Amino acid sequence: MGLLIHKLKKTFVAPDGSSVPVIDLPELYLADGQQVALIGTSGSGKTTLLHMIAGILAPDSGNVVFGYDPNKPDSNEPVDLTTLSEAQRDVFRGRNIGYIFQTHHLLPGFTALENVLLGMSFTGRAHDRGWAQHLLAEVGLSDRLNYKPQKLSVGQQQRVAVARALANRPKLVLADEPTGALDASNAQQVLDLIRKLCTEVGSSLLLVSHDLNIARQLPRVLTLTEINQTNAHGAEGKASAAAVGSLR
Amino acid sequence: MRQRALSTWLTTLSVMLGVGLAVAIMILGRESQSLFGQNDYGFDAIIGKKGSKMQLVLNTIYHMDVSPGNIPYDQYTRLLDPHLPKGVPMPADNYFKYVKIAEPTVVGDTLNGLYRIVGVKTSFFGFDEHGDPLKPEDVLDYRPGQTLEIADGRVFALNKFEAVVGSDIPRLTGNGIGTSFQATHTPASPGHPADIHMQHWTVVGVLAPTHTAIDRVVYIPLLSFYTIAEHGAGLIAQAKLRQGEAPPDVDPDSDADQPHPPDAKGIEHFSNYNFDTNDQTIHLNLERLPPEVWAISAILVQSRGGDTEQALEYDLNNSTDVMAVNPASVMREFFNTFLSPMQWLLLLICSLVTIVAAVGILVSIYNSVSARLKEIAIIRALGATRTTVLTLICIEAGLVALFGSILGLIAGHGVNALGAWYMSRNYGEALGYDYIEFLFEAAYIVAVIVLAVFAGLVPAMKAYRTPVATNLVVT
Repeated sequence: MGLLIHKLKKTFVAPDGSSVPVIDLPELYLADGQQVALIGTSGSGKTTLLHMIAGILAPDSGNVVFGYDPNKPDSNEPVDLTTLSEAQRDVFRGRNIGYIFQTHHLLPGFTALENVLLGMSFTGRAHDRGWAQHLLAEVGLSDRLNYKPQKLSVGQQQRVAVARALANRPKLVLADEPTGALDASNAQQVLDLIRKLCTEVGSSLLLVSHDLNIARQLPRVLTLTEINQTNAHGAEGKASAAAVGSLR
Repeated sequence: MRQRALSTWLTTLSVMLGVGLAVAIMILGRESQSLFGQNDYGFDAIIGKKGSKMQLVLNTIYHMDVSPGNIPYDQYTRLLDPHLPKGVPMPADNYFKYVKIAEPTVVGDTLNGLYRIVGVKTSFFGFDEHGDPLKPEDVLDYRPGQTLEIADGRVFALNKFEAVVGSDIPRLTGNGIGTSFQATHTPASPGHPADIHMQHWTVVGVLAPTHTAIDRVVYIPLLSFYTIAEHGAGLIAQAKLRQGEAPPDVDPDSDADQPHPPDAKGIEHFSNYNFDTNDQTIHLNLERLPPEVWAISAILVQSRGGDTEQALEYDLNNSTDVMAVNPASVMREFFNTFLSPMQWLLLLICSLVTIVAAVGILVSIYNSVSARLKEIAIIRALGATRTTVLTLICIEAGLVALFGSILGLIAGHGVNALGAWYMSRNYGEALGYDYIEFLFEAAYIVAVIVLAVFAGLVPAMKAYRTPVATNLVVT
């Protein structure tokens, strides 16, 4: 499921009433199964962009198109999230998008397994307990299925969150600073797990980070500047002056 | 709910208390109506001394208050000509045409100053004067279709100092079968010793529980009531007064008998009777106490149906010293006058209590939602729609109300079980706490749940409007 972001704009209103443009993205394309890192400074709009891609936040204008195939631009299959109602976006997100937050955002009253199953609860499909257990085994927590989050370490909590994001075999995984709260060792483990599971499931990955060392491990790295532009980096992390639109 | 288990349980507890209180009040209202507004007596008239109808009913049925006074025994014989003692002429104004069954009762003494002693005939328990069972249709019901049953022992002999006691008496006083007791005329008071009659009655039977005041009553033979010297003196004085003559100028206490040894034939001679120590029988002194001077406190009457009860009431109420009352009418009038308005008050209290419980749910879930905005945002991010969140909150309110209501229902009936136990222990009249009016109570629970769901809409709308992006941001 390719993702095309086209002329996406978002402006917030500052406390003094003035308009603050946060996102003005001409174009960004993510191919099926592609793993992309998006880096940017604090306040550059990384989280806002992910929220709009996930349909959590509605853009002021522009399009977020899932299922876009550049070879079949007129295909009827693509779904433009910006044309859907909020409820339709919620359902679409539940079925097609996995979200990993900077902090785990697990529900404290639920066990690790239940938190993963919770991720399956809003898709209209039956819980796949076996898949949830498999995911937790993949992240090394097969012996912690019935542990509540507060009984797990921070790194383990984030691994549960990774498993939850993959619970519905999403087409796209959005990871918002998934290693931001972890030490270097745990950060590397979590990043490896995310990449491994996305590959196993066949999900595209858009990972936001401010850490270039993390970002440059992904095949493709993009920079989101504070003033609404994205620049491309090469696979090795070298800066490129090419416009995003030319990076399809 | 699991996220905030303690809060949820506390809210459930508050609903339980609210619903329990409301249910207890409802049952209490229903049972008080049943108890005091009942129309299910086994008899349809009580004949007694003219005066307060309520006093007559309370005294005769519930064994509360004092007797309004005595009526002549021949008032009873006029009701049942087939049962007239041999030699007693048929009175001209007999009411046999109205009366199917009549049972005389006489009161005045107590056991230990607490439990009423009532003089009755053996027919009161369904036996003839020889102790043989009567035909069922000739036995007075204390409730429709329910007659007194002797659970243990036998009925007393009508001419012996024997007694049959209510089911609670052995437990309350220790007076079980084989024990004997004396009747207390006046309990002890400061400066005055108790006035206890000389005679000793032996318990020969215990009644099966009736869950009425009967369970706390001691029954003795009517005849034995007249053996007491003070009673005889009083009866003679009352008979003289009824005949328009001056009562004998005697101090009733001076007439009191004292125990003394039997004569050579084994007969003990007392003021009102001779006691044969050989067979333990009483032989009333009919020269001193002929049936014309006997008196009774009340007569329980089962009429022949139709309008015979009203006819009996009409005929008797035209007399100057006797009246007949329909206990159901009296109690219903009492209920309508005093308790019925209370029903509305109780209903209002129930409604307020229920609303308070619903507001409790509202406040609890609202606070819960306020504290769970991040969690709500998380499940929204996982794909839950606003409607799903709203529905979940309303379901939570409904579940809290459901579980609280069920627990409250149990608690309400439990509280009334305690009340019933207390009533039974202290007054003999039991409340029905275990009887569930299924439709009514189910409807009430449904109403509580609906109310709770509506109350839950307020926090649910707050959750509905929770902005996801804002609440997902790490702070």
